[in-house]
Amino acid sequence: MSMISDRQRAVFAALADILIPAAEGMPSASEAGAEGSALDRVIELRHDKREAFFRGLNKAADRSPAAALEELNRDDPDAMSAIGLFASAAYYLLPEVRALVGYPGQENRPVEAGTEPDYEDLLQAVLDRGPIYRPTPDGDA
Amino acid sequence: MTLPCPSGPSPSGEVADVLIIGAGATGAVAARHLAKAGFKVVCLEQGTWVDSSEFWGDKPEWELMAQKRWHPNPNVRELGDDYPINCEESDVNPLMFAAVGGSTVIWAAHWHRFMPSDFRVRSLDGVAEDWPFTYEDLEPFYEQAELEMGVSGLAGDPAYPPMKPPPLLPFPIGKIGRRAAKGMNALGWHWWPGSQAIPPSPYGGRNACARRGTCMTGCPEGAKASTDLTHWPAALADGATLVTGARVREITVNAQGLADGAIYLDRSEVAHRQRARTVILCCNGVGTPRLLLHSTSNRFPDGLANSSGLVGRNLMMHPFAAVTGSFDEPLESWLGPTGQAIQSMQWYETDERRGFVRGAKWNCMPTGGPLGMRAAYSGKALEEAWGANLHRNTKRVFGHSFEWGIIAEDLPDEANRVVLDPELTDSDAIPAAKILYRNSENTERLLAFHLARAREAMEASGALGMTETTLMRDCGWHLMGTARMGEDPARSVADHSGRTHDVPNLFIFDASLFPTSSGFNPTATVVAVALRCTHHLIEARRSLEVAAL
Repeated sequence: MSMISDRQRAVFAALADILIPAAEGMPSASEAGAEGSALDRVIELRHDKREAFFRGLNKAADRSPAAALEELNRDDPDAMSAIGLFASAAYYLLPEVRALVGYPGQENRPVEAGTEPDYEDLLQAVLDRGPIYRPTPDGDA
Repeated sequence: MTLPCPSGPSPSGEVADVLIIGAGATGAVAARHLAKAGFKVVCLEQGTWVDSSEFWGDKPEWELMAQKRWHPNPNVRELGDDYPINCEESDVNPLMFAAVGGSTVIWAAHWHRFMPSDFRVRSLDGVAEDWPFTYEDLEPFYEQAELEMGVSGLAGDPAYPPMKPPPLLPFPIGKIGRRAAKGMNALGWHWWPGSQAIPPSPYGGRNACARRGTCMTGCPEGAKASTDLTHWPAALADGATLVTGARVREITVNAQGLADGAIYLDRSEVAHRQRARTVILCCNGVGTPRLLLHSTSNRFPDGLANSSGLVGRNLMMHPFAAVTGSFDEPLESWLGPTGQAIQSMQWYETDERRGFVRGAKWNCMPTGGPLGMRAAYSGKALEEAWGANLHRNTKRVFGHSFEWGIIAEDLPDEANRVVLDPELTDSDAIPAAKILYRNSENTERLLAFHLARAREAMEASGALGMTETTLMRDCGWHLMGTARMGEDPARSVADHSGRTHDVPNLFIFDASLFPTSSGFNPTATVVAVALRCTHHLIEARRSLEVAAL
């Protein structure tokens, strides 16, 4: 069973679209579907932020989304922070959004056997300058 | 609240030759080698084992969980195994992790020896204290540590004396490393391929690194060197007993003033007594002084091993600053290892013309995923952090950036200290640690100089934009100096082998011993010093004064 009502989900979608609008070739939060299962997953995992998140949604209900966000940012930064975290976390969990920003996720990409060093052409200049450390003082080593 | 009294002996029922408190880096090293040498070892650890399936690095929600469950600050995690720390009077938050393997479970695995000058700060720079041994004395233990931890790196770095190569070749420096290196070459500044305790290929039963770049929230591949993987299996195979969920409340002493065990609470809040002939503290630079200060008696009213008054003093935490640059080409800047593609010691050694002494090491680091970048925008004006600017900022920085991180040496100052909080306690009613810590003028000058140089390095690399972190509050990964070693009992807590001056069978093996902090990530030296202390304890086993039980 979902932890968020349809009404609260609609309030969140409206707020999220102010924070994450369609621009720069990217979809808005609701166009991408951030208020759907991605939001459910964020709410499930970050129970420490739930109280502030729902408090913010309740304060924003029946208000202009833009005015509500300005007020939260000024008067209830914890609620604003929770709404911002949940909106951006849900948004960047979406495969479509990740593809658009070029993020494959934290890849499993081990170093292939036989990979040649990629630094040797740059390192000679460092070697040519010689040692830069101070040795242990004489008679102490 | 009434503190529970011991209900009986520990579940193991045995008298330990050596009781180790803390199963992190130093406790694991001591347990492995003492058990192999035939000592009956018992280790008490307040945390538990962490299975690699608990890590989120191989799951899409990784960044979300990194900000809470796997945050390095125990006050943020708020787990039952953690103890709270009062940081209201500190510029920096101490970071740690309570588990088998300790903070190596969530470390970045930077691997650096200290330089020869780090052991002779008083002799060379006229400040702080010299160590009771030299780089050359510690070198064989560095070599042993590098084999045991499985270090990857490239020999021949001109920032160090010649040394044996580590067992594994370095990782590719990647696109961020090449971009950074070209900038350093343009300026004629030092850099070198990064060195880390992470295997690019299978090593010692560990898997090859997958380069997910999630090292600091635990390694899902079982690749990174954490001592639950590198040392504890061998220690247990050689007969060491490890008791998890065991929070030590105090070290006990007998009528002769010798340590004879510890009282600890299990996770059901039942108190037990573990008897031991010798006790070794391995609880890090906050946990060790906390326990010593809480172990009071008629004989030791100011805390155990504290006749010098230095237990808890001289805390050093390495203030950390950073410059992040964004570039005009894709740099795959989510790719690991997290620690460093390249490193630089260009500005490490003292040059007093700069207006300060000592220096810092730099690490060129990837910048992670798109969500982590958002954390820096909290509290800013809506139009700056959100709206179309969110997309512009993400496209500009995400995948196109790297960070020059600056590990600043902070010098010992007796005013920077760990004390017992008069009110705050952990879940077992044991007084919490309170941190009193302020950056010195030397540190502030050092950081300002290094930040200016890092901006120049970014410019030379062609950065289109830069952001600067002048001091990261959550940066106290390196906890040092709070029970320092030396030969003068009036000026130190323990001798060169970690044996406390006041209690001849009580030892400290962790970084509390460090007289100075260097400007390096200290785990290589933490492990090497623990190996050296363990070696000396084994050598002294026939002559050691121990508690009769």
